[in-house]
Amino acid sequence: MNGFSPSSHLLLTIAAPLVGAVIAWLIGSRGVSAVRQSAAVTTLVTLALAAWLIVRYLADPATASGLPYGLVEFPWLTEGIFDVRFSLGLDGLSLWMFGLAALLSVTAVFVSWDAIKDRPVGFYVLLLVLEAAMLGVFAARDVILFYVFFEFTLVPLFFLIGIWGHDERRRAAVKFFIYTLTGSVLTFLGLLTIVLWHAAHANVVTFDIESLVDGTKIHPLPMTAAGGWLQMVVFLALLAGFAVKVPIVPLHTWLPLAHVEAPTGGSVDLAGVLLKLGIYGFLRFSMPMLPEATAVAAPWLFGLGVAGIVYGALVALVQTDLKRLIAYSSVSHMGYIVMGLFALTPVATEGANLQLVNHGLSSAGLFALVGMIYERFHTRNIASLGGIASKAPWLAVFFMLFTFSSIGLPGLNGFVGEFMILLGSFQRAWSGVSPAWQFAYLVMALLAVAGVVLGAWYMLWAVERAIFGGSREPPRTSGHGHDAGHGGHGGHGAAGTDHDRCDLRWYELCAVLPLAVFVFWIGLTPATFLAPAAPAVRKATAAPAAAFAARMQAETTATVARITTP
Amino acid sequence: MNDLSPSTLLVLVPLLPLVGAILTVALGRVLGQRAHLPTIAGIAAAFVVAVVLLMGMAREVGVGTTSPDHAAKPVEMVTTLWEWAAVGDAAATGDAGSAARSFSIPVALRLDPLTATLLVIITGVGLLVAIYSIGYMHNDPGYPRFFALVSAFVFSMSMLVMASNFLLVYVFWEAVGACSYLLIGFWFTKPEAAKAAKKAFLVNRIGDFGLAVATFLLWMTYGTLNFHDTTLADGTLVPGILGATRLADASAYVGGAVGTAICLLFLLAACGKSAQLPLHVWLPDAMEGPTPASSLIHAATMVTAGIYLVARTAPLFEACPGALTLVSIVGATTALVAALIGTVQNDLKRVLAYSTISQLGYMFASLGTGTLLGFTAAIFHLVTHAFFKALLFMGAGSVMHSMGGVIDMRRFGGLRRIMPITATTFLIGSLALAGVAPFAGFFSKDEILASLHSRGWPDAHGEHHEAAPTGGHAATAATFHLAFYVASVTPDAAQLAGGTRGSALDGLNTPATWRLLFWMSLVTAALTACYTFRAVFMTFTGPTRVPEEAGHHAHESPPSMTIPLVILAALSAVSGWWLFSTHSLASFLASTPSFTAPSVASTATPPAFHWDLAIQGTLAAAIGIVVAALGHLGRRSDGPQMERFLGPLETLFANRFFFDQIYSALIVKPLELIATLAALVDRHVIDGLVDAIARVPAGLGAVVRHLQSGLVQRYALAGVIGTLLIVLALVARAMG
Repeated sequence: MNGFSPSSHLLLTIAAPLVGAVIAWLIGSRGVSAVRQSAAVTTLVTLALAAWLIVRYLADPATASGLPYGLVEFPWLTEGIFDVRFSLGLDGLSLWMFGLAALLSVTAVFVSWDAIKDRPVGFYVLLLVLEAAMLGVFAARDVILFYVFFEFTLVPLFFLIGIWGHDERRRAAVKFFIYTLTGSVLTFLGLLTIVLWHAAHANVVTFDIESLVDGTKIHPLPMTAAGGWLQMVVFLALLAGFAVKVPIVPLHTWLPLAHVEAPTGGSVDLAGVLLKLGIYGFLRFSMPMLPEATAVAAPWLFGLGVAGIVYGALVALVQTDLKRLIAYSSVSHMGYIVMGLFALTPVATEGANLQLVNHGLSSAGLFALVGMIYERFHTRNIASLGGIASKAPWLAVFFMLFTFSSIGLPGLNGFVGEFMILLGSFQRAWSGVSPAWQFAYLVMALLAVAGVVLGAWYMLWAVERAIFGGSREPPRTSGHGHDAGHGGHGGHGAAGTDHDRCDLRWYELCAVLPLAVFVFWIGLTPATFLAPAAPAVRKATAAPAAAFAARMQAETTATVARITTP
Repeated sequence: MNDLSPSTLLVLVPLLPLVGAILTVALGRVLGQRAHLPTIAGIAAAFVVAVVLLMGMAREVGVGTTSPDHAAKPVEMVTTLWEWAAVGDAAATGDAGSAARSFSIPVALRLDPLTATLLVIITGVGLLVAIYSIGYMHNDPGYPRFFALVSAFVFSMSMLVMASNFLLVYVFWEAVGACSYLLIGFWFTKPEAAKAAKKAFLVNRIGDFGLAVATFLLWMTYGTLNFHDTTLADGTLVPGILGATRLADASAYVGGAVGTAICLLFLLAACGKSAQLPLHVWLPDAMEGPTPASSLIHAATMVTAGIYLVARTAPLFEACPGALTLVSIVGATTALVAALIGTVQNDLKRVLAYSTISQLGYMFASLGTGTLLGFTAAIFHLVTHAFFKALLFMGAGSVMHSMGGVIDMRRFGGLRRIMPITATTFLIGSLALAGVAPFAGFFSKDEILASLHSRGWPDAHGEHHEAAPTGGHAATAATFHLAFYVASVTPDAAQLAGGTRGSALDGLNTPATWRLLFWMSLVTAALTACYTFRAVFMTFTGPTRVPEEAGHHAHESPPSMTIPLVILAALSAVSGWWLFSTHSLASFLASTPSFTAPSVASTATPPAFHWDLAIQGTLAAAIGIVVAALGHLGRRSDGPQMERFLGPLETLFANRFFFDQIYSALIVKPLELIATLAALVDRHVIDGLVDAIARVPAGLGAVVRHLQSGLVQRYALAGVIGTLLIVLALVARAMG
C-alpha cells in the first residue's frame, strides 16, 4: 500500500467515526441491534486504522527526531499576512492519546451494548461524533482546529449525560457544560492573545501551533510590570480551561457529579480521554509558549497537584457510591499527573505523560466495570454490594486487575508513571529548588508518596466491601433471577447456569480485555511507550524547565548574597 | 548442553513457576482437582535448577577448599534481560540545576551466594508446601486459584531475591505483597479474611513508602539504582551501589544524616514486610488465609524479605552505626514483645504467628550487630527457621484439617494418639524452635547470641577489630557532585550529604545497649521455649479431646500432607548441626558481594562454638519448657491455666499490648474524621460556592435547557459558525 500516504491514513482515521455515525443514522430504523453493531464495527475499524497508523509512525525513523507524522495541510486563507491552515498531524505528545481515544471508543460502545435501549441511534451517533472529536483534538496542529475539536468533545458529552444519564442527569450536564465552557472560552481568549501577539511581531497571522511556539521563543510575551505581566495573564487564561478539564482542585466538583450521572460509555470517554485534554493543553500550549509564566506558577501548581492527591484520596475514603469513589480517585490520580508535570524534571514529566495513558486505561476499566456491576445488581452503593467475586468471578478478576493498576502495583502500568512522577518530583525537591522552597517541596513530595498509602486504602476498602465478602454459598437462583432475566435480552448463546449468566458476557469482555492487555504491556515494557514520546515531551518542557532553573538559581544567589553580606 | 549456560538457568528459576502459574490459570477449569500439576511441576523444576545453581556457586566460591580465614572474594553473576525504562540525563534539557543523572532501569537478575541460598529455600519450601496443599486444599472450590497464587508467589519471591536493582526490588517487594494479599483473602467470602487481607496490604504499604523514599534518596545520592557496575554505551563505568568498584572503596558509602535516613527508611520497609514493631499488626490477622499459604509466605519466605533487604544493603548500614544499632533494638524488642504475647494465645496458628514475629526479631537483632558473624547468623537462622516454622505451620494445618477447621487449642487434647506423625514432627519442630541441642534452631540461635555477645563484651571475644564501623565519606564523583550542589544551594545542607558528622542515633551504639539486647534475647529464648511447649502440651498431651466439628473419625492426615512434614522434620533435626559443623553456609555467604565490603569483612572472626553461650541458651530453653510443663503437661487444655499467675499482665498480653486499639484511635479514626470533614467541605463549601457563582447568570440554565432539542447538527453548526465569527472579528480587529 505505497499509495496510502500517512496523511490520508490520518485523515481517514479521524473521518471513519463520522462515516460510521452517518451509517448508524441511516440504518437506525432497523433497531438497536443493527445500530450497535454498526457502531462496534466503526470503532473497531477506527481502532485498526489508528493502530496501523501508530505502527507506521513508530517505523518511521524521522519521528524519532520529533517531526510530526502524517501531516495534513489545507490552506484556508493564505493571502497577505494571513497564513491560516487546516492542519493535522501526530507527534510524540499526541501519539498515545490518539491511540487511547480509539481504544476507549471501542470500550465505550461495548459497555453500552445492553445498557442503552432508549433512543439508541442518537446515543451511538453522539458516541461516534465524540470519537472523531477526540481523535481530531489530539491530531490538530492549528489553534482554531484544536479549539473546534475541543468544543466538539464537549457537546456530544453534554447530550450523552443530559439524555442518557441517571436521575440527576440534567443538573450534572448543566454543571459540566457551564464549568467547561467558561473555562474553555477563557482558554480560547488566551490562545487568541498569543496569536495576536505573534501577529504583531512576526507580521503574519498564523494559527499554526508550531509557528507560535517558535515565534514566542523569539518574541516572548512580556513578563514584566511594564508589559502588564501579559505572559502571566495569558497563562492564567489558559489555566482556567485546562484546570477545569484536568480537574485541578478546587475546580473539580463537576467531575464526580458528571461521572455518577453519566451513562457508562460517557464515563469511560470522560475519564479516559477528556480529562487528559487539560494536561495535553499544558504540554501543547502553556509550557512551550509561556515558559517564564509556567516557571513562576510551577510551585503553586505542583502544590495544587499534591493537594489534589491527598484531598481526592481523603474524600474518596468516605464515599458510599462506588462510581463516586472512583471519580474521586480520578481527582487524586490526576493530582499525581499535575504534580509530575510541574516538577519539570525529565523523569517526572515523561512519567506524567505516560501516566495520562495509564490513568486512561485503569479509570476507564473501573468505570466500565462499575457500569456492569450496576447492570447486574441495580445499585452502586458499596454497602449493598458484596460477594461479587463469588457471583461473577471474571468480573471480579478484572476489577482487581484495574484496582491494582490504579493503586500502582508494580508490574502493571500504573506503577511506572506513578514511580517516575514521584522520583522526578523528589529529584526536584532534593536538588532543584532554592533554599526558600526546599522544605516546602520536600514536604509536598513526601505527602505525595504518602498518598500512595491512602490510594490503596480507599480502593482496597471498596474491594473488600463490594467484591469480597458475602456468603460462601453458590449464587442462589432466587437471589438474582431478576438479573438473569435482564441479561436474557442480549444473551446470545449465554445459555448455561445462572453462574455464567451473572459473569461477564462476550461484549463485556470485549470492553475490558483490550485495556487489560495494555495494563500488562505498559507495565512490563514501559520503555516501548516512553521512548516515542520522550523527544516531544522534552521539547515541550525544556523552556519552562530552564526558566525554572534560572529562577531558582537567581533566588539562591540572592539568598547567598543576603547571608554573606551582613 | 550448550544453551544451558548459568545465565539461562538463572532465568529459568523464576520463569518455571511463572509458566506454572499461567498454565494453572489457563487450564484451571479443565484440570479441576488436578490443577496442582503445573504448579508442582514448575516449582519442582525451579528447585532442581536452584540446587544446580547453588552447587555451581559453591564450587566457584570454593566452600571447603579455602581456609576460613582466607579473605572472601566477591562472587556474582548478573544477567540483563531487557531495558525496563530509561530517561536520558537532565543535561540535555538545559536544566542545569538538577545534577546530571540518567534514569535507566534494566531488568537484571543476579546470582550470588546469598541469592543462591535463598532461592533453594524459596523453591524447596515452596515445593513442599505445594505438595502438602494437594491434601490440605482438596475439594476447595478455589483449588486452581490457590495453586496459581502459590506459583505466582514463588515467581515473585525468587525475583525479589534475584533482582539486581533497587527499583526491581521494590517491584517484587510489592508483588509478593499482592500475592500475600490475595492468599490472605483467599476465602474472600469470610469478612474477617477480606479485612485481614486489606490490613496486611495497607500496613505493608506504609513499609513500601519507606522503600520508595529510600530508593529516591539512593538515586539522588549514588546516581544509579543498580546493584552491579554497568558500562554505558560510551564506555564509562557507572559504579553500582553494591558493585565491585564501590565495595572495594572503604569510604564509598554515605553516612551522616542522609545515609542514616536511607537506612532508617530501609528499616521501615523491613518492619512492614517482616512484621516488626511497630508494623507487626498485620501478621497475626494474616492467619485467616489457608494454612499452607501461612506456612510458605508468612513464616518461611516472604516475611524474611526484610532480613534479606538489610543483609543485602549491609555496606550502607555499616556507614551508619546508629541505624544499625536501631535495627538490633527494633529486632530484640520485637522478639521480646511478640514472645510475651505468644505465651497467652490460645489459637495455635496465632501462637506460631507471634513466634514468627519474635524469631524474625531475633534475625534483626543479629543483623544489627553489623558483624560478619551477625549477618551470616541471621541468614543461618533464616534458613533453619524456614524449615522448622514451615514444619510447625503445616503441623498446625494438619491438626486443623483433621479437626474440622478448629484451631483453638483449648478444645484439643491428647491428639498424639490420633495423629502420631503430626505429633512427632510437630515435637521435632518445637524442639528446633525452642533451641534445644542438637536441633537446628539451637545452632543458629547460638550464633545470634554470640554476635550480640561480641558487641556487648568486645574484650571477652579477644578481637581487636574496630567495634563501631565509622561513617564513610561521600567521595565518589556522583556523590561529590551532589554534595557540592546541595552545599551550593543550601548552606545548611552541607552536612546532610557530607557525612562527616555522625547522626544523633550513634549515641545508642554503646556496649551497655548491646548487653541489654543480649539479655533481652536470652529472656526471649526462655519465653520461646515456654510458648512452644505450652502449645505442644495443650494440643498433643493430656486426655484425648476432639472438637465435635471433626466428626466421628478424626484421623491422621493423608500422605501428601505427612510426607512434607517428615522431610521438614528431618531438616529441622539435622540441618543446623550440619551447616554449623562444616561451617559451609557461613563461609559460602561470606562471598556475597555485600559482605565483602571492607566494613563487613573486617569484622570476620574465626568460626567457634561458644560453650558459655550454648549453656546459657540451653538453660533458658530448659526453664521455658519446665514452666510450660508445670502449667500444661498432661492437663486438660481448657482447665485453669498458668496465665492466671500473670495478673494484669495477662490483659496486656492477651490484648497484644493494645497495638490495634492504639492505631485505631491515633491514626485510623482521626484520618476517617478528616476524610469525612473533607467530603463535607467538598459538598457544601467548594461545590456550594461554584453553584452560587453559576447562579449569577440566571438565564444561562434556561438557555441551555432550550438548546437541548436533540438536534445535534444544529448545535454543531452553530458552534462552528459562532467560533469562526469570533475568530474573524478578532483577526479583523488585529489588522486594525
